[in-house]
Amino acid sequence: MTSEPAPRRWSEPDGAHIDVRGLPPPQPLVAILRLVRETGDDAGAAVIVHHDRDPVLLYPELAELGWRADRVAGEPGEVRLRLTRAR
Amino acid sequence: MGVPAGFLRDARGRLLPASIPFRFFGAATVFHLLAWAALVPGALATPGFAGGLGLPLAALHLVTLGVLAMTALGASLQLLPVATRQPVASPRAAAALGWVYLAGVAATTLGMALAAPALLAAGAAATVGALAAYAALLARNLRGARGVPVVTAHGWAAWVSLGLALASALALAAAWLGHPVLARPAAVGLHIAFAAYGFMGLLVLGFSHILVPMFALSDAPPRGPSLASAGAAIAALALSALGSLGIAEAWLAPLAPAVGLLALGSHVVLMERARASGMRPRLGRSFVLVRVGWAGLGASLAVALAMALGLGVPRAPALFGALLAGGLLSLLLGMLSRIVPFLAAMHSTPGRRGPPLPSALTAERPLKLHFGCHLGAFALLLAAIALDSAALVAAAGAVGTVGAAAFGAFFAVACHKMRR
Repeated sequence: MTSEPAPRRWSEPDGAHIDVRGLPPPQPLVAILRLVRETGDDAGAAVIVHHDRDPVLLYPELAELGWRADRVAGEPGEVRLRLTRAR
Repeated sequence: MGVPAGFLRDARGRLLPASIPFRFFGAATVFHLLAWAALVPGALATPGFAGGLGLPLAALHLVTLGVLAMTALGASLQLLPVATRQPVASPRAAAALGWVYLAGVAATTLGMALAAPALLAAGAAATVGALAAYAALLARNLRGARGVPVVTAHGWAAWVSLGLALASALALAAAWLGHPVLARPAAVGLHIAFAAYGFMGLLVLGFSHILVPMFALSDAPPRGPSLASAGAAIAALALSALGSLGIAEAWLAPLAPAVGLLALGSHVVLMERARASGMRPRLGRSFVLVRVGWAGLGASLAVALAMALGLGVPRAPALFGALLAGGLLSLLLGMLSRIVPFLAAMHSTPGRRGPPLPSALTAERPLKLHFGCHLGAFALLLAAIALDSAALVAAAGAVGTVGAAAFGAFFAVACHKMRR
């Protein structure tokens, strides 16, 4: 559908990772929400987002899905978020 | 949501304070109400309207300047920094231009309604000044944009269009004061093309490349066809400008709307494909309004083509104006009904249970009432022009006023819940 570069996705013990740095809007939002939906309803599931800016448009969409975002330590210049199901 | 408060404050710091865009949106809801209400006393003059001072012209500019441009200014000042990753250079300037623009639009439209050229000229000067300041902010933002070529292409074309729309508006205001600087048909042609299709149309079409995928949660339309669609729209505007200035008018006057139809058609295909491929393809009533908007714009171009070909369309100028203004209004209200709750949620102070949901900030009943009234009023207005009926114009004005009040209630509820 698009000629934009795709986000990088991989799995680690702490959750499913997605790197959306360098992608133009609204691709990061869409890619993150797609991964969140794929992750499903597992209460312990987590998505780790590697971003280059504060994803202000993401928070209302996450709240609608019943998910929460917590800032975690990342590389310099990176905004890293840990997304989990809201309790 | 567990985003720490300090982090959210930092994120929001990159946005304008909510008061600035919401002031633009609030003013637009008031002008929306006044635009429909003006049709009731202006009913007699509306079906045969073909330009000139009076209530129909005031109602038209309450829509174009008061609702369309007002909303476009607020939305672009809020969303463009997110899209281009460039903060607004001066939030204070953005706030100040909002107040000057509001006063300018009020004086301009009152001057038109009262047929008072001096008031109109004073209002036009304030409006042009505010829009010139906005153009400076827009240019600064677009200059720093990276990685969003489709949005910036539309943005720059809208920026050039704004300049030409303002120049032609000043030429028309000067003519009303008895100082013609450009033949009136040429000034009117340039003004309609560049204010409505150029500035408003291209700005809305450009933002659609972000907003529609955001609403439907889909990938953005492919870059190549999107830029080709923008190129066709820009070509249509250039052809229209040359035709308005009397250059190869017999050829260019019909060619411009034909190319415009091609541009609009390709845009609609790109948007519909994006929507259909998304995780949330069903967008409800708001997207019905967007589709009505596209249909109105397409029909306005078809009427322009028929007029250029000399086909006899009864009361063609009034029909063209109603389709164009009504089409853009429908498109914009469809978009606005989705982004207002979203922006309100983004700006809300998170409570103990996290930020409010956009769905909790949406007042469905007023939106539903507005939807029915808006479609009814638009249909009544078109029927009134087709049947040359002042009574139907008055009915359209009354129904539209009820719908605009309902939309105002939806907006007020979102603002109230955002502040709570």
